[in-house]
Amino acid sequence: MTLLTTSPAASPETSPTPPAARRGPADLLREVVRRPSAGVVGLLVLICAVMAFLAPSFLTYGNWYNLAQQMVFVALLAIGMTIVLITGGIDLSVGSVLGLSAGVMAYLVNQGMMFGLCLLLAVGTGAGLGLINGLVITKLGIPDFVATLAMLGVASGLLFLWTGGVPFTGFMIPVYDTLGGVTPLAGDLTAPILAMVAIAVIAAFMMRRTSFGRHAYGVGSNREAARLSGVDVARVRIAAYVISGTLAACAGVLLAGRTTAVAPTIGVGYEIQAIAAAVIGGAALAGGRGRILGAVLGALTLTVASNVINLAAVSPTWQSVVVGVILLVAVGLDRASTHLSRRLGGPAPSP
Amino acid sequence: MPDQDTQDPEPQELLRVEGVVKHYPGVVALGGVSLDVRAGEIHALLGENGAGKSTLIGVLSGITQPTSGQVFVDGAPVQLRRPRDAQDLGITTIHQELSLAPDLTVLQNIFLGRELRRGPFGRGLLDERAMSNRVQDVIADFGLTERDLRRPVGEFGALTQHVVEIVKALAFDARLVILDEPTSGLAEEERVALFDHMRRLRERGISIVWVTHRLDELYGLADRITVLRDGRTVARTDTDESTPEDLVRLMVGRKATSLGAVAEDRTAAERPAGPAGSPVEVLRLENVSRRPVLHDVSLTISSGEILGIAGVAGAGRTELARVILGADRIDGGQISVDGKPVRIRHPRDAYRLGIAMVPEERKTLGILADFPLDKNTTVSRLGKVARLGMMLDRRRERAVTRDYIDELGVRTSSASERIRNLSGGNQQKIVIARCLFTGPRLIIFDEPTQGIDVAAKAEVYRLIHRFVAGGGAALVISSEIPELLHVSDRILVMREGAIAGEVRPDLRGDDLEADERASAEIMSLAARSVA
Repeated sequence: MTLLTTSPAASPETSPTPPAARRGPADLLREVVRRPSAGVVGLLVLICAVMAFLAPSFLTYGNWYNLAQQMVFVALLAIGMTIVLITGGIDLSVGSVLGLSAGVMAYLVNQGMMFGLCLLLAVGTGAGLGLINGLVITKLGIPDFVATLAMLGVASGLLFLWTGGVPFTGFMIPVYDTLGGVTPLAGDLTAPILAMVAIAVIAAFMMRRTSFGRHAYGVGSNREAARLSGVDVARVRIAAYVISGTLAACAGVLLAGRTTAVAPTIGVGYEIQAIAAAVIGGAALAGGRGRILGAVLGALTLTVASNVINLAAVSPTWQSVVVGVILLVAVGLDRASTHLSRRLGGPAPSP
Repeated sequence: MPDQDTQDPEPQELLRVEGVVKHYPGVVALGGVSLDVRAGEIHALLGENGAGKSTLIGVLSGITQPTSGQVFVDGAPVQLRRPRDAQDLGITTIHQELSLAPDLTVLQNIFLGRELRRGPFGRGLLDERAMSNRVQDVIADFGLTERDLRRPVGEFGALTQHVVEIVKALAFDARLVILDEPTSGLAEEERVALFDHMRRLRERGISIVWVTHRLDELYGLADRITVLRDGRTVARTDTDESTPEDLVRLMVGRKATSLGAVAEDRTAAERPAGPAGSPVEVLRLENVSRRPVLHDVSLTISSGEILGIAGVAGAGRTELARVILGADRIDGGQISVDGKPVRIRHPRDAYRLGIAMVPEERKTLGILADFPLDKNTTVSRLGKVARLGMMLDRRRERAVTRDYIDELGVRTSSASERIRNLSGGNQQKIVIARCLFTGPRLIIFDEPTQGIDVAAKAEVYRLIHRFVAGGGAALVISSEIPELLHVSDRILVMREGAIAGEVRPDLRGDDLEADERASAEIMSLAARSVA
């Protein structure tokens, strides 16, 4: 390769030092600021600082323990949603899949079926509904928004028909008390918190370090280029919906255990919170961007916000207004941090 | 040829750029560029990728703010703070990726954002008639009809879309049109048509700044040429006063090869007499069809062979590549790999069989723009850098990518650089690295040198030659007949979805007459019954 002239402008390379050895404080700041979750972290710190002054009970162990318990459901949904968003899709059905899976769980336990089998079938319901979403979208070519909106209607309608409008109750056998977190596993540690942490760690590993994760980002950032590079785009997209459905079912099983009843409206509105948490955590609706840690932090932010509303004795009806405002602020901060990182100097901005 | 400004007072100067510098953090994109464009001339802007052409166009169209330097229009200094400022001064830029809305009609596109209005409520109604009247005399000149104005832009091909951009410029009194590599997506005859349109613009007294890589296009069309290298103006010359060899030397900055020299490479060092062992058939197509774009295509490719595919746009070349790769299904015929019939339902199947592709349209189909180089390199076969069958080994990914960077001569700061920050030729080398990484028997190159500079082209040819010298087989699709003549062992000419004939170029590569005969033969096969 002798033809290329080495232009001083385009090749600041040739320094044999690996990048890690040249890091200064400015690089570190740049790195932190460029992270997609910079906005949400900033927002969280801000809210916590303000609340620490206003409400002494906010920074107590008991309050944060409760926050952890409460955030599990949105966190699980947001993890699944983030994976779907990374592949360039969207899943509007998570709330109703959560509900129907919870219904399957409660019903089967009431029938006296072996607990492990109930669990398997309930989670399987979520996975199956996710598979249907994925197949309808990739094989029939129905837009993701439409397909999952239809699934939202069908799944929530089925739960309503099945319950006849009357909540399923009376399924709280002792083992369910443990699974639902009513009885802690060891010390203060409960099963839902443990499940959330484990699932988040596995999902983060999967997205960063496995072929599926890499393919998911590739499919989300340029579907056709990924396909021509030999990525099985359909399979990746289907897998994302199956994961989302499965996690929704897990959240449903845990939520049923916490509320000790499955009302037909159990999952209503969760899809909005899941999308909000994922986006607050840095996922892009256009695909190709998003992080699992971001999704968990997004869920935490939303949970903290509703906690703040409680502590401040504001009417809970304000919650959805607050979620909307937080969404805008977090994404706004994210954009601002992107600008800041450009100013601090990164690679030349691409057109 | 240093700046040789003829101080001729006659031709009036329209645009002058003096000492424009643009710094990005850590990079000097422009290090002092000057350019002067006269009224009613076609002024070619030449330079390798990374020479600063795009940045200069950005400055002239108000997208990029220069760090220092000055732009003059009609001799008066101007500030181009936003695209609107440039438009108001009569400067219109037609970008390589056309910025038209495919679902809107031609007329709607022309007036998009600047609609003519009438009526009450603060002139709240669209004045369709005034708009179509305004472009009436222009469209006839450029071969559009009144009916075309009402059709969605997406129904037209690349050439007509260029024409729409030109009409759009004329509708708003453009005085200077900047064409950024307008011919890169066009077939031969469309190219010729576009050149006619450019002459027509010049006749109307409109100046054109024309960015191109193809030196053979310049002669007979461009009046003057400015050559950029490494962000600086290295020469300004009348077209008649310079030879292609001069220009290549100026662009590359040292005594460089022209296409002819590439041909010498082919016969000399880079092509050993044949790969070890006798050639084996790698791919066979028998009566493969995908109606209505492909009809009964039969061909074979053997190891150590480069098969060229020629044809006009729409003749089915890319469609052929897509069915071999499994991106589209076939509805008849049989594909065999290594003599065994196979069914390729998906590109993944093709990669498993040892078939890889460098797609056309590098920016939209080739690279994964958001990914760094290493992730682009390994994506087609992640299994090779995984431990325990699933855990990706980032260190190994970077190591293999660094090997390819060295081996293919990719100019970059590191393997973790985002690919979108590289120049076109370097991006293409990474796409080739991705194919090589899968360990393929056959690589399909679809327009492999589209939009990359002369030096990078020569390197791409070498990579293709080296691949087949190692026992691989290559299928090269190209709109540039000289390219096919230089690189191929055999050339199949496609016409209307079928193979129209086969041409064997003279492999000695030093016989210009033989090349011209072959070229004429290809064109007659490609064109018969089309016109």
